[in-house]
Amino acid sequence: MRFHKLLLIVILFLVSCSQKAPIYEHKDFIFGTIVDIKIYGETEEKSENISNLIFNDFKRLHNYLHPWEKSLISSMNNAIAAGSVFNVDDEEIIRIIQDNKNLASKSENYFNPAIGKLIALWGFHQELPNQMVPKAHQINELLANVTTMDDLKINQSTLSSANRNFQLDLGGYAKGYALDRAKKILANNGVANALVNIGGNIIAIGMHGDRSWIVGIQHPRKPSAIASIQLPPGWSIGTSGDYQRYFMDHDKRYSHLINPRTGFPADNSQSATIMIPPANNSGALSDAYSKPLFIAPEIEKLQLADKLGIDFFMVVLANGDILISSKMNESIQWLEQNNEKNITVH
Amino acid sequence: MKAMTQSIIKPTKKDHTIAKLAAIAIVLSVIEFFLPSPIPGIKPGIANIIILYTLVRFDFSTAAWVSLVRVFVSSIIVGSFLSPTFFLSLFGAIVSLVLLYAVQKLPKPYFSIVSLSLIASFGHIVGQFIIARLWIIPHDSIFNLLPLFLISALIFGLFSAFVCNILLKHKLKKHTF
Amino acid sequence: MSPYNGLNKIMKKILQYIKIIKLGDTFVIVTFMGLIFWSVSQSWNMPSGQYLKIENNQEDSKVFSLNQTVNKQVIGFLGSSEISIAEGKVRFVKSPCTKKYCIHHGWINKINQTIVCLPNQITISIVGDSESYDTVNY
Repeated sequence: MRFHKLLLIVILFLVSCSQKAPIYEHKDFIFGTIVDIKIYGETEEKSENISNLIFNDFKRLHNYLHPWEKSLISSMNNAIAAGSVFNVDDEEIIRIIQDNKNLASKSENYFNPAIGKLIALWGFHQELPNQMVPKAHQINELLANVTTMDDLKINQSTLSSANRNFQLDLGGYAKGYALDRAKKILANNGVANALVNIGGNIIAIGMHGDRSWIVGIQHPRKPSAIASIQLPPGWSIGTSGDYQRYFMDHDKRYSHLINPRTGFPADNSQSATIMIPPANNSGALSDAYSKPLFIAPEIEKLQLADKLGIDFFMVVLANGDILISSKMNESIQWLEQNNEKNITVH
Repeated sequence: MKAMTQSIIKPTKKDHTIAKLAAIAIVLSVIEFFLPSPIPGIKPGIANIIILYTLVRFDFSTAAWVSLVRVFVSSIIVGSFLSPTFFLSLFGAIVSLVLLYAVQKLPKPYFSIVSLSLIASFGHIVGQFIIARLWIIPHDSIFNLLPLFLISALIFGLFSAFVCNILLKHKLKKHTF
Repeated sequence: MSPYNGLNKIMKKILQYIKIIKLGDTFVIVTFMGLIFWSVSQSWNMPSGQYLKIENNQEDSKVFSLNQTVNKQVIGFLGSSEISIAEGKVRFVKSPCTKKYCIHHGWINKINQTIVCLPNQITISIVGDSESYDTVNY
């Protein structure tokens, strides 16, 4: 019957309209944390294949950039500690080092990947921290001649440092860099919509259907999100928090985010979140630039954000007060009643 | 509109028929526009009675003319010409006509004007939802309005058939057209 | 003609009408009712949403949390409409349109519920999966 067929076509049209494109999610444990990839609007098979491509690249990076396990970087650190010159026949690592030199100098060395030795002294160069505050003289010794990225000299393919205390630690950069790698792999394989989360550092590729990807921002002291925000296509978000890697000693919290100027873990913030617009290195920026905003003293934070061109930031200060940029404040959605919170908008 | 231009040059009998029937349909549409609706967006579509009457009494092409002239002229009168409301109405009318064309030859012993009316009102809903989904509210959430619209289409479809049935019986006794 | 006679006449017409309903018509009516049941079952059991999506004629849609008490101005085709968000639900409170259907619609809070103001070209709808975000930044 003609009528019957027509009705069927109409119903099929309506049904197909109301069905959502699938999302496939793949997880792996890399960089000592959970890597979570969500792919929207592709087949299950393609999603899995591409997720595996990304996981494999991340595993390569892990074995390449790891600060204390056997890796290219730790070999370089050992060579420098021994006072010798390190040869690298590798363009990628030179580019990464150049990028880190650049980011460190722009951030007035609040982002300082050259203080691996200081971080190790605080016991954060092992899976489980030492739980011990180092002796004052140990800290002062390193602080007297504090290492910066400027100490590392690149001479074509050889790396060297006059300061033997120089230890490169890309812990505040590698995950962000990996996001940029993931973005390239997704683009090369024609995936238009995906969300990659490496231990809390996130990049949004395209959208979740007809809306942007939405990211919850962890409350630094509660097991829930403090707010959520839409991450527009191509944007990255990164948070530095004192609640991931830390130890308590005499009721005081010591986190892995060490202020290169004091030699002590920064204690003026609970977390700093920044959002970076689309750029080739937006992932790396979202990882690296959250550190200066976390570490720098409260009065310097705004100035620093301005200098680094960070329009979207939110800092939860040590007393729970919130410092937020006006642009971030316009887009953020508080998930708890915020009337008791003290929010300062800039 | 073609029918109107022709009526100036050399009006055929069919043109007169279309003009008269369309005039009634337009009046009904305009009245309906000014009547308050209990639920926003839901209208009984009383002009459809005329379309249905035309289809049964005359033929499909006459009914199609009446329907389209009705959509254009009434939208110009109420001032919604080329607005979203107009396109909703136009596309509803088109889908409704397409469905009517497909089902007008259904075997008479099994299908009456009731089927025609219900299918026509269903067509209006489908046409409007397609336009609404693609253009006005590009979001699946509008399908939540579907139950309400379908229920009203069922009720008003049955009602239109009821009135049309009376009109058709009346016609046998007295020549109106 | 007494009212009783009038009623009688209408009853007669309805009886006549019922008589013209044939087997095929019954099939069409049943199919129609089936469609209604299907569409109702699709839209029921929708959980409450956590987000409000606002679309207008000017810019990309915006999503806001329903977990706040605030009135927002939304610029549309005719002018500024005001919506009110409170206790996880939302409604129109002011609109420059003439018929104010959007305001009469009242509160919405379930996922996929929508209020459309056609004259002012503003659509507000409830969105949000069971989780209110896709992933967590930490």
